[in-house]
Amino acid sequence: MLHVHDDDLASCVGCGLCLPHCPTFRITGEERYSPRGRIEAMRQVHIGAKPVEASFVDMMDTCVQCRGCETACPSGVPFGRLMEGTRSTLAGGAVPGYQPWWRRIGYRMLSAHRAVVVGSRLLAVGQRVRLVPSRRLGLPDRLPLRERPLEPSGSDVWLYTGCVMDAWQRDVHRAALRVLRAAGVGVSLPRPVRGGGCCGALATHAGLLDVARVQAEATMRAFPGDAPILVDSAGCGAQLKDLGHLLGTPEAERFAARVVDIDEWLARHVDRLAPLARHDRIRRRVAVQDPCHLRHVQKVHLSVRTLLAPFVDLVELDDDGLCCGAGGAYAVLQPELAGDIRERKVAAVGRSGVSLVASANPGCSLHLSAAGLDVCHPVQLVDEAIHGGRA
Amino acid sequence: MTTPRTTTTAERSDGEVVDALRAALSADRVHTDDLELALYGRDASLLRGDAVAVCFPCTTAEVQSCVRIARQFGRPFTVRGSGTGLAGGAVPLGRPVLIVTTKMQQLVEVDLEDRIAWVEPGMLNLDLTRALRRHGYHFAPDPSSQQSCSVGGNVANNSGGPHCLAYGVTSAHVVALEVVLPNGDVTVLGGLDAEPAGLDLRGAFVGSEGCFGITTRVAVRLTPDPPAVLTLLADFLDPLDAVAAVSAIVAAGVVPAAIEMMDQRITQAAEAFVHAGYPTDAGAILLVEVDGLPGGVDAERAIVERVCTDHGARTVRIAVDEAERMLLWKGRKTAFGAVARIRPNYYLHDTVVPRTRLLEVLSKVYEIADRHDLIVMNVFHAGDGNLHPLLVFDAREPGVLDRVHAAGEEIVRVSLEAGGVLSGEHGIGLEKKPFMGWQFTQQDLDAQARIREAFDPEGIANPEKLLPEGSRCGDIAHLDAAHRERLLASGVWV
Ligand SMILES: Cc1cc2nc3c(=O)[nH]c(=O)nc-3n(C[C@H](O)[C@H](O)[C@H](O)COP(=O)(O)OP(=O)(O)OC[C@H]3O[C@@H](n4cnc5c(N)ncnc54)[C@H](O)[C@@H]3O)c2cc1C
Ligand code: SF4
Ligand code: SF4
Repeated sequence: MLHVHDDDLASCVGCGLCLPHCPTFRITGEERYSPRGRIEAMRQVHIGAKPVEASFVDMMDTCVQCRGCETACPSGVPFGRLMEGTRSTLAGGAVPGYQPWWRRIGYRMLSAHRAVVVGSRLLAVGQRVRLVPSRRLGLPDRLPLRERPLEPSGSDVWLYTGCVMDAWQRDVHRAALRVLRAAGVGVSLPRPVRGGGCCGALATHAGLLDVARVQAEATMRAFPGDAPILVDSAGCGAQLKDLGHLLGTPEAERFAARVVDIDEWLARHVDRLAPLARHDRIRRRVAVQDPCHLRHVQKVHLSVRTLLAPFVDLVELDDDGLCCGAGGAYAVLQPELAGDIRERKVAAVGRSGVSLVASANPGCSLHLSAAGLDVCHPVQLVDEAIHGGRA
Repeated sequence: MTTPRTTTTAERSDGEVVDALRAALSADRVHTDDLELALYGRDASLLRGDAVAVCFPCTTAEVQSCVRIARQFGRPFTVRGSGTGLAGGAVPLGRPVLIVTTKMQQLVEVDLEDRIAWVEPGMLNLDLTRALRRHGYHFAPDPSSQQSCSVGGNVANNSGGPHCLAYGVTSAHVVALEVVLPNGDVTVLGGLDAEPAGLDLRGAFVGSEGCFGITTRVAVRLTPDPPAVLTLLADFLDPLDAVAAVSAIVAAGVVPAAIEMMDQRITQAAEAFVHAGYPTDAGAILLVEVDGLPGGVDAERAIVERVCTDHGARTVRIAVDEAERMLLWKGRKTAFGAVARIRPNYYLHDTVVPRTRLLEVLSKVYEIADRHDLIVMNVFHAGDGNLHPLLVFDAREPGVLDRVHAAGEEIVRVSLEAGGVLSGEHGIGLEKKPFMGWQFTQQDLDAQARIREAFDPEGIANPEKLLPEGSRCGDIAHLDAAHRERLLASGVWV
């Protein structure tokens, strides 16, 4: 038995309308790597018709958890919930060694912010002396060696800074702070809370719900009060908006209701930002890449367009927002499929004829940059339009 | 200690077939994993089967090898595209070699001069249309499943779609086919000439549901995108008024590109998914599309609007832009999938009835469903009278399947009695095979069986599909009494 609801499984009618929206099906054309196939496999295991074997684990592990299938499914099959339940069953002992101890520790360590920063600095040194094969590990080419600390500016809103992103892409946070300051908004930074450095998204995707719950509890303590919590990582935002479901407490519900994606929030205030753009700047053509956790989970991807429209010329990709293959830790755990999926995205960008890509998720931007694309966060574009910067 | 197992002949020869297939393709494109075979047991219908292996060929030569090996080992073969078929056509019966075309998706050649394109069979219908867009063309057959279904599947089922009212079904848009015949030979049927010499074997192959061989390349006709398109949504309190409006539109001399009808239940289910602003309190809605030159489109729009209003439409909404138009269509095209919002399973027929009898048959369909205590949802190609009464149910409820089948049978019967035909576009497959005898005479069936035999004398291509057992004249005489009784009981010879 899997930790899933019978009715969720029964809601798939097998119509196949989700197939072309699944990145792994697009790459392989195989039912085992499709939403319909994965649901059928879950069903077979759930009713006891088939045992949990390597093949089943492979079908589940190769899912990027992009939830493109969920948006495409007319029957409203809650695929994300099904996959989360299935992975937690696997991690909960159904498959010995499914999440080995060293990985569990790894996910837990993400909460220890000092350790993440120090670890990243070690990696950065390793890169400089060519001890670390960056591409193979899916790392940015040049990790920052030492980063200036971020400066708070008031208490209107919080800015969520996260674990790896704060170590690797603090530039994005800095741009967000500048843009918010320009809009006259005072920003607080998370309180230093023991173990509160990671939202728990990666642990949730790995099926380690117990780890994720501890991380979520600590994260909540880092943001007291009622002010909105702005998140500039689509993956973290999706996780934080879902804490009510993960923890099942009224406090978590209240916390989740305060979470907003930064693009979503800025789009509401775009009238305040647009007049600040420097008119001597040449408008640039920018292709929008929708992170799955913004498009299929938070469903606020259109706000990126609202936000960027006054500042750049937007170009839409022609791939229906198909996943890029980053998927949190997916690019590291399933490098081959992740690479093939990415090739489709790179080709779509190529067809658009645009060289600069805006992506509101650090995972996507790392993954796509590793393929040689020029990627930045939408708030970085707004920051540049207002304050100047890279042209 | 492991228990010794005896290897049966069947198992040994399974292994041999698989080894041969692996040698011909490659080990990673011939799958036999138990769980995976279960995934390939079904298509979008409720039926199930079991294959010996699933093969993913990439070229015509590899398809040829699969067919030859199946034949050599005395196995049947079944070909599968995207598995969106609603009649069980791709369900593997008799432990066949299952040949899946999803790794053959290339657009091989676009010839703008002759206005044709050669495509591989696994290419998705909508991908093809999108690839043609920059040239100003599209592939006209647009089944509601067009985002997922394959061109090869369209050919095999002679699929239609909303826009086939004006443009015709798949058969009108396929000029030539490269085919691997059941004996393993490759041939080309049809040709690029307007009137190819000889028998129209291309025409026979289109709609043959995988029983005449496998198409490995399809030459499709390119249809120019219309210069102007308008989509209207008319809403009616009484579904029967909507049906009357359909006939009146055609009677008024307009042949719209599409006329689709959705009743209240399906409208509500679709609206819950697409949020297109469908009126969920309407008894039925009509989606009407007119296309052509801007002047003509405007004139037709005016007529459609007037006729609908005269027939009691509460409102007629016109999509203001492409985004709204796409949204209105999205609800229609995903309607089957949306039924799980009501019940998790569906079963449907796709009989076609003369437009003039539509009203009468539709009322009977509602009455039949009521009598069997079932929910029926109607969404269909109203312009050509092609019904899709969806019986929705929860298969976990004991005894429900019997009621569903009984109601389905009655629906088929009233459609045929009204002068209709068994299937508009979904194909016969397994699902509707028992009803073939209701529509066709023994002579008709015999003729069809002879054509099939000419293509596939050994009967290895997708066996047990399409034609009921005993279709050949004389077959029935050879059957033992018990078997004959069984066939009679299941309605084959009624
Ligand atoms: C939500 C939904 C909506 C639908 N709407 C419509 C509609 O509006 N109109 C309509 O006509 N149908 C519709 N269908 C039915 C279905 O999508 C079509 O029949 C479609 O053409 C099947 O294509 P496929 O690739 O999925 O074929 P499959 O289901 O894989 O196979 C269908 C049949 O084709 C044969 N076949 C597949 N490939 C080949 C090949 N290369 N050579 C020879 N035979 C082959 C198979 O053996 C089988 O008999 C709908 C289905 C769904 C689920
Ligand atoms: S998940 Fe949804 S879209 Fe996919 S096969 Fe099931 S019902 Fe259809
Ligand atoms: S979540 Fe993404 S990868 Fe997983 S089955 Fe759905 S579409 Fe495919």
